[in-house]
Amino acid sequence: MIVFDKQLLENTFLVEEAKRLNDQHFISESELQNSKQQLAVLKSNKNILLRIGFFVLGCLLISSIMGMLALFTISLADNHFGFIMLIYTLIGIAGSEFLAREQLQFGYGLDDAFILAFQGFFCATIGITFDSPMAAFIALAFIGLAACIRYVHTISALLCLAGLTGAICYAVLELKVISSAFLPFVLLLLAVLLYSVYLKFSKDEKLFYYKNPIVVLQGFSLILGYLSMNYLVVRELSESLLGLTIAKGEDIPFAFLFYGFTFLIPLFYIAYSLYSKDRLMLIIGLLTFGFSIYTIRFYYHILPVEVALLLGGTVLFALAFLTIRKLKDKESGITFKPARGTETDILTNFQAIVVATQVDLKPMESESKMPFGGGGFSGGGSGGEF
Amino acid sequence: MAKSNAFTEKLRTKGLLSDSQMESIRQYEALGIFSLHNELRFFLYLAVLLFTSGVGIIIYKNIDSIGHIAILGLLFVLIGVGFYFCFKKAKGFDKEEVVFESPVYDYIVLLCTILSCVFIGYLQFQYQVFGYGLSSLVCSVVGFFCAYYFDNKSALSIGISGLATFIGITVTPKSLIESDIYSNPLLSYYGLALGILLIVWVEYSNKISLKKHFQFVILSFAQQLIGICCMAGLLESYWFIFIIVLATAVYYFYKTSYEMKSTFLFVFTVVYGYIGFNILLFKFIDVIDFSSFGEIFIILAPMYFIGSIFGFIRLIQHFNKEKV
Repeated sequence: MIVFDKQLLENTFLVEEAKRLNDQHFISESELQNSKQQLAVLKSNKNILLRIGFFVLGCLLISSIMGMLALFTISLADNHFGFIMLIYTLIGIAGSEFLAREQLQFGYGLDDAFILAFQGFFCATIGITFDSPMAAFIALAFIGLAACIRYVHTISALLCLAGLTGAICYAVLELKVISSAFLPFVLLLLAVLLYSVYLKFSKDEKLFYYKNPIVVLQGFSLILGYLSMNYLVVRELSESLLGLTIAKGEDIPFAFLFYGFTFLIPLFYIAYSLYSKDRLMLIIGLLTFGFSIYTIRFYYHILPVEVALLLGGTVLFALAFLTIRKLKDKESGITFKPARGTETDILTNFQAIVVATQVDLKPMESESKMPFGGGGFSGGGSGGEF
Repeated sequence: MAKSNAFTEKLRTKGLLSDSQMESIRQYEALGIFSLHNELRFFLYLAVLLFTSGVGIIIYKNIDSIGHIAILGLLFVLIGVGFYFCFKKAKGFDKEEVVFESPVYDYIVLLCTILSCVFIGYLQFQYQVFGYGLSSLVCSVVGFFCAYYFDNKSALSIGISGLATFIGITVTPKSLIESDIYSNPLLSYYGLALGILLIVWVEYSNKISLKKHFQFVILSFAQQLIGICCMAGLLESYWFIFIIVLATAVYYFYKTSYEMKSTFLFVFTVVYGYIGFNILLFKFIDVIDFSSFGEIFIILAPMYFIGSIFGFIRLIQHFNKEKV
């Protein structure tokens, strides 16, 4: 199933693991180099800039191949456009196979371009042939899954999930399989299903090569679960997709449920992630909680913005301060001590650079409209998040 | 942080991990450490930004109703209390890196620095205590003092942007696109001067080993300043001076980014260098008659584009090799 030589693929992950252990100072630099020398690996770019650079090159390469072909096949374009797309798909697959087998590329950038391209072309083929978005969504789900399995390709997993979700949304909204009002619940159900699949997969030893796609699966299901129940999302989408008009004093169906879940889900994420020590879930929990606050403030201006900022700042500071005091001396479990191998330097540098963009020091003379130094509205912008 | 897994085991069976190493990994993982260090620090940071934004808006909205003395008094008390705790807990000035016992104080220092700037700005607005534009210089002095005394990088960055504001430039990503510099050529000279001054300061600090860990923040400001000013200068009629300045700066930052192993500085060096080169190229094309070579340019343009990406990839690859 996997296109790569198993041994090489395994070695690639082993070197990655050795690098992690080196970051955590369990093994020395020379031992890491030793592992790198002993283990033959696939070609991959860990540096994101390099990978993007090669990806852009790959896209140029593909478009020049397509352009060349288009010169010969232009006469077909009127009646057999789907056929042209099929040819492109096959070329894309051939390119991906070549890069993976002969060039041993795995997350190198060039291969990403080909793998993503053939999925796009395949969807276009199916979409045009059957003339239905539903077919295209289903095609995306299947081809994404296939590409993810064969090339151990992380982004394809996201495409697959997007296709699946898209297909379900389309079935409910356009084909009216069930009443459109139930779409949020269907999506919540999907999220729960996906999460249980994640739980099953993450424990399976055989699927270790797929650890990155599995993380994508987890993140996707958590975010989908939240968004499907978020009041803002549900309300705005019902207005734009279902043409629902909400008069003053009225509310969307099941509003109380959505209000509840808008806050309960993030809180649950945060609490459960602390219990299960899951960083991705924690971060998603915090971000979604911030979005929940934004949701409420979008419809109800409970407090004037400055009071909300002051109060939010004070509460957040107090909360963090108390937590730090509580965790300061703990040596195990949830702690304030930096974990092995994390660099706090990056955070302080980042904060230093960002603070300059947040604090406005323009010299204000009496005529000026913004008569004070620190933090104008610019600070409030990011403030909505938490 | 990922936990040990099948791959760790495999490393062990391949003899790339010793028994004692495996043992220490097991012991470490038995602690079940889940560090909230970065998250909590980020919360504190966010809290400070929220709070100061709130203070700013309150003053702005109520500038006539609360009373000046009341606002100033309240701010003064807040700043005083904050600084009192910071001074009490601070270990005093040192050339090396000093850290507070608890990082909470880092953020109280930041809070007090920003509030001081609000205070100074308000004094200036209401009573014109300082001469024209001097208020940002005073803010900058406060920022630098807090930065060096309490060892606070964020305060340092406020200090530097105070200096930049004093000469009339805002150093934010946004200012690269819309900036006063482009309409006021004199500013780019000031900016260049400040940028060079910052570089000189970094080099001098390194020599006397004063707060060496500030190097990155100061240099990245210097780089943006010089970069923005050179971009503005290149569009002027006396652009050749700026070509020389930009080339020198690119060379300096190229070398420094290798020394510091800083990808951030390196990428911006490449970006500014590339933009500068392209401006030069267009000026060159402008000089020779375009119309007679039009077709060649159309053929050459995609090749130039692909070549640029190749060049970029080579540069990064080289940088990564040296970095390890």
